[in-house]
Amino acid sequence: MNLFRPILRTLFAAAFVTSAGFSHAADPLTIGAIEILSGPNAKYGVAIKQGFDLGVEEINAAGGVRGAPLAIAYEDSAGSKEQAINAARQLIGRAKVPLLLGPTLSTEMFAVGPIANQRQTPIIGTSTTAIGVTDIGPFVFRTSLPEADVIPGTLRAARDKLGVKKVAVLYGRDDAFTKSAYDVMKTALADLGFEVLTTETFGAKDTDFSAQLTKIASLHPDAIVISALADAGAGILLAKQALGLPQNVRAIGGNGMNSPKVLEIAGPAADGLLVGSPWFVGKSDPLNVKFIEAYRAKYGSDPDQFAAQAYDTIKIAARALNEARDLSGDAIRDALLKTKFEGVMGAFAFTPDRSPAVVSGVLVLEVAGGKFAILK
Amino acid sequence: MPAALDDFLWTYQSLIASLGVNGLLALSMYVVLAIGQLSLGQAAFMGVGAYASALLSLHTGLPFPLELAAAMLIPAAFALAIGAPTLRLSGVYLALATIGLGELLRIFLIQSDFTGGALGLSGIPAKAGFTLIYGCLAAATLALMLITRSRIGRAMEAIREDETAAAVSGVDLPRYKMTALVVSAMLAGLAGALNAHASSFIGPNDYGFDAAVTILSYALLGGVGSPFGSLAGALVLTLLPEILRPLQDFRLVVNGAIIVVAVLYMPHGLIPWRPLRIGARP
Repeated sequence: MNLFRPILRTLFAAAFVTSAGFSHAADPLTIGAIEILSGPNAKYGVAIKQGFDLGVEEINAAGGVRGAPLAIAYEDSAGSKEQAINAARQLIGRAKVPLLLGPTLSTEMFAVGPIANQRQTPIIGTSTTAIGVTDIGPFVFRTSLPEADVIPGTLRAARDKLGVKKVAVLYGRDDAFTKSAYDVMKTALADLGFEVLTTETFGAKDTDFSAQLTKIASLHPDAIVISALADAGAGILLAKQALGLPQNVRAIGGNGMNSPKVLEIAGPAADGLLVGSPWFVGKSDPLNVKFIEAYRAKYGSDPDQFAAQAYDTIKIAARALNEARDLSGDAIRDALLKTKFEGVMGAFAFTPDRSPAVVSGVLVLEVAGGKFAILK
Repeated sequence: MPAALDDFLWTYQSLIASLGVNGLLALSMYVVLAIGQLSLGQAAFMGVGAYASALLSLHTGLPFPLELAAAMLIPAAFALAIGAPTLRLSGVYLALATIGLGELLRIFLIQSDFTGGALGLSGIPAKAGFTLIYGCLAAATLALMLITRSRIGRAMEAIREDETAAAVSGVDLPRYKMTALVVSAMLAGLAGALNAHASSFIGPNDYGFDAAVTILSYALLGGVGSPFGSLAGALVLTLLPEILRPLQDFRLVVNGAIIVVAVLYMPHGLIPWRPLRIGARP
């Protein structure tokens, strides 16, 4: 019996502590999140979820929102529009969440946005960069800088700092993301007075880009503007090196090329690549340093831009939920529009069109020695 | 309507709509399988119907019934063009040609700016309500049921079991095969149009090879003895992922396991019984 007594005592104490914990904590305030947590694009959704979870932990440590802890109900969309729609309808119709975060892809947002809008539930995309996302309706927000802000900034830096004038364009035609980024590039190239020598395309599953690059090489451009996802983008960089295009012909990428994976696959061939990014792991401001430390401590790896955007977004959402006069869609919407926030991506506020208002946070990164660094 | 029921219907609106649409797709697959042919073009026929009706909705003010008619007739024309050469051959040629049709359609949709390229079409008006979708499904089921019970149904089953014997018994093989393919294309096109007008957003990758195989699996899981078999297959395969949603990470595993068990232990499908024929002794 002597042996059991300490165990019993511990159990008793544990039971007491948990029940006390339950009786004191108010019901959590639950918001919904729809992200890709399984399937080939899960790497984006999981990074976003980790950013949210870290943010929620810090918010709850600081007292939660409206006197209750904040909680997120996650639904997996697996990257499919139908599942994203079903998830949104569940979260809004059954779980009655006051606010939705996500979904991961712009194509999913085009399917889910109208539903949230119909029920007047604010929805905030953290990674939806395509044109027209916030045109869906007055309850659709995004905290990710649209391509229309990031890409022109990158091109302008290439023109002003590197003297790029003549470019060739190469884009993935059968993917909604790369096609949408190409549309932005086309407009920006025209606006900034670049001479476009040729525009070539490839398919998402292509692995051989030598035909397009041979043609591009014969035209002697100053740079190649590429809209591709990480895998294809790295393949293009490798082919560019293999075909002997000179090193000083720069590759300029869209958001899809802003990935550590490109460096991993392309290795030294990635040197000289320019990308625009809303965030950079090497940014040295104290908020960012603190975020990276906390993220490393919790997950044992470096955050990427998706985690950083998610981390800022959950804080913005928490602030708006605190400020809102009640939890109706209209009140939260008004509060979001008024929220001013200083986060790891820099100063943040929404425009009246519900996109990020401050675009000074766009960083132009250059790959040098196998690492991203801010272009000087 | 009480608020709780209203919320329930709203929450499951797209699921209820896709149950009806997938039911129509399963029937369209049934029509081809019922005469022993294999088509992998149901998704392409659906895509043609969806894009045709969506483009009509976005660019013209045609009445919706006319758009639905177009969404059935255009895939039917594709079916005629594909069926004419391939149905003369026996074996896998129809399957091959219909896979080709699906790929051609996908590549065309991606390249063409008129169809929105890789971004697809969005903002399609929500004209297809439950009544219309389930009305179409009920009408199609009833029609197919009557056909299955009739002389035509008997001829179809004869073709499925033994083409040569059926031909010797005086069944007009080419006519039956062509009719089945055209009817199946029309049903798939109708399903596509209803789907486009229920979900408001379509893209070129919705109608690829994956979708074709999913549609085939409705009919195979449910059984091709009667139209109800394919309907049951569509019902199960559409509902299962949603019912298993609480399992989170294990959802796809359990979903797959249930299907494997069903196929192993119910080789003739969930509903193996054949309908009584008119004039047959029970």
